Amino acid sequence: MDTTAQTTIPRRDPATVMRLSRLGSLHQCRLSFMRQLTRRMAQENWSFARPVFRVDDNGVGCAVYSAKGPERTYSLVAFAHDLPPEMRSDRVIAEAWDATFALFDGIPSEDDIERLSQNVPLQEAGRVSESELSLSRANRSVRLWAHVVDRLAAGLQPDFEQIDMVGYLMRTTAVYGSGKFGAADREKIADRPEVQAPFQAEMLSVFLTRTFVRDLVQHMARAKGGDHAVPLDPSLARRLGIGNSTGLGMAPFIVNHPVLFNNWIMVREEAIARVRSVAEATEDDVQRFRKLLRRSEVSVDRWRSEHPIQVKNLAALKDDLSTLTAHVGADDLINDYPWDRLMNWAAGALSEEGQELVASLILEPYANLVDGLTSCMSDSNGSAFAIDGSMDLADLRGLLEESFGWALDLDWDAPENCARAWYVSEEKLEPRMGERFDEPIAEYEQPLAPARDAALTHRALNGRQGTVVEFLLDHPEHRHTVRRAQMSRVAPYGEIRDNTISAQVLPIDMLRAKLSFFGATHFDPRSDRWVRICMYAGAPYPEDLTTETADLWVYPQEGTA
Amino acid sequence: MSYSLNEVEATAKRATRGAGYAWGLAEDAAKATRWLCAHDIDGVGQLARLLSSESETRLALAAINGVWAAKGVLCPFRTGCLLSDCAHLLNEQPIEMVQVAAPVVLVPFAALAARRLEVVVTVECDGDVAVTDGQILSMPSQWSEIAETVTIQISGTLPASSPRQTRARPNAVDWDTLNRFAHKTYAPATEESRLLGAGAGLSDND
Repeated sequence: MDTTAQTTIPRRDPATVMRLSRLGSLHQCRLSFMRQLTRRMAQENWSFARPVFRVDDNGVGCAVYSAKGPERTYSLVAFAHDLPPEMRSDRVIAEAWDATFALFDGIPSEDDIERLSQNVPLQEAGRVSESELSLSRANRSVRLWAHVVDRLAAGLQPDFEQIDMVGYLMRTTAVYGSGKFGAADREKIADRPEVQAPFQAEMLSVFLTRTFVRDLVQHMARAKGGDHAVPLDPSLARRLGIGNSTGLGMAPFIVNHPVLFNNWIMVREEAIARVRSVAEATEDDVQRFRKLLRRSEVSVDRWRSEHPIQVKNLAALKDDLSTLTAHVGADDLINDYPWDRLMNWAAGALSEEGQELVASLILEPYANLVDGLTSCMSDSNGSAFAIDGSMDLADLRGLLEESFGWALDLDWDAPENCARAWYVSEEKLEPRMGERFDEPIAEYEQPLAPARDAALTHRALNGRQGTVVEFLLDHPEHRHTVRRAQMSRVAPYGEIRDNTISAQVLPIDMLRAKLSFFGATHFDPRSDRWVRICMYAGAPYPEDLTTETADLWVYPQEGTA
Repeated sequence: MSYSLNEVEATAKRATRGAGYAWGLAEDAAKATRWLCAHDIDGVGQLARLLSSESETRLALAAINGVWAAKGVLCPFRTGCLLSDCAHLLNEQPIEMVQVAAPVVLVPFAALAARRLEVVVTVECDGDVAVTDGQILSMPSQWSEIAETVTIQISGTLPASSPRQTRARPNAVDWDTLNRFAHKTYAPATEESRLLGAGAGLSDND
């Protein structure tokens, strides 16, 4: 990690940052993967093309969208389908979708398109190849799609309120990358500068998907209205993002990749520490912060959810924004470590949603301190995997206590502390969470309760002396926990400091933590274990992407109704 | 059919767990299988044969002193884990072992040790020699199925590079074997799990 920036204020304690309620309150920031991608594509002057668009009047066909960077071209191959309404489901158990996609590494030939047409529409039931970097699908928002097609076909623009209520015309329901279903492994692209940061191929796929969806809705309107049809007003089109429904499958990811997850959190914490260490802010910096605070208020006003927890959190966040606006109105934020003062004030005055919004916002004026850190967010090494058997057991005990001291005295046999179990379903081979005492799942439990396992290992170490290798000879069942404990030496933010199998656990907190790093907004939980979000709302389309439009699009302009 | 190395690792991990090994061992077995496939060695076949044969006939070591030996044939995965855990011992002297099943499986663990120590490691197995620094590998195409004696030490010279595979093309029967073991880790679907486990709730079609 780049350590040239001086930080007098330390990073926040993992014990504070890694609580689930706080991880479930994170917001996008300068480091988000979508913003990294759009900034880079603008800086490098990428060019975009649509070499294929063969969609009939029923909305069935295929299209190719290409994005050309300095060294390589990537292409979204999109298939549009005529899906009977009763088959439409965002759940992973679905078997057909309104549209399906693959991100192709290069420019696909007709043979490639033909091959993909036999497989991509099947999603998990098909196979893709090393030429594909991601596989995904999307469903229409039934409410908004019909409205927009009907209005455009009649020569009218869609109703602003309706666009605002939904925010997107289609939502993706899975974007698979990294070798899934035969696609290329991460290693194939990990050394390419344009996709070195995490999830850049997936983010590019969604960026191009949004363009396809806009083009498709206009195509359908023309098919219906003929010469009466009009194109979508560009300002309305820009308001539309791509929705996404994210289920439980994403939650185990952050537990199963402790070093990678650490790198995301630690980079953000380092960025926050650097900005807090700014002794004196310039008037320009402060103006930028104030402006984006006002634009954040507009964004929060557009954030809708029916879920009781999010409704409550949103009300608190709106109160926070009023309190924050009043507070910064009485402080010029120039002298005496202004951002550190603001963070300290927020810790006592705002909810966790509000505190984390402040933490993300203070990074905005400081591209020079923050943006270089983006190169530290992937896990390219993998060397933390090997176990050091020579470690003294006293040191191992210390590592367990550091990350899981809070968990060691918990009664792990009490039903409320182990009510849940994570398992993989035979049906779809995807992760689920069930009730340990009500369902026959305990014997299939996945190792997704690091806190409980740490407590068990700590207990097994009781009274033992010697080295790790001797302990593991007697107790191979603790091997995965010993590995994680040793990883925590290089990944202090790698462990969630909460019980992931308690009766109260909310998997949506884990989903939000990950999605916030993608750069998602408008988190809308639909139950305790799946969430809808919006991606790229406000972003420029390829033809409008410039260094002026590439970064701050996530904050809506003030004064737009 | 060709598979991504990610698919190989994920399937190998589930299969090893399904065969009754601890999660931590399954993680190592999966990484080792992936490493072998990436170095153009049939890791899937090795794992499939080891999981299929009677596990009682392949033993874990009870203690580390002197030559590594058990009252029978050593399991290469458990012995391999021990080898990478004990990488530090190689700084003092070679590690010797007798009677190891599928000794080629030791090579990825020797590679882990080499990476950790930042050295070149040689695995000599009944006269056959593999040399690796963790990335580059030099070894003969055929290895014995059971090694009488194995010596692992810091030594050896390497070519500038060695062939790498980005895909695995396992024998279909071996791949099915892994999937059969992996299947044992999947909970049978119930209506309850379908509705609740994947998280129903508000409408998903609106």
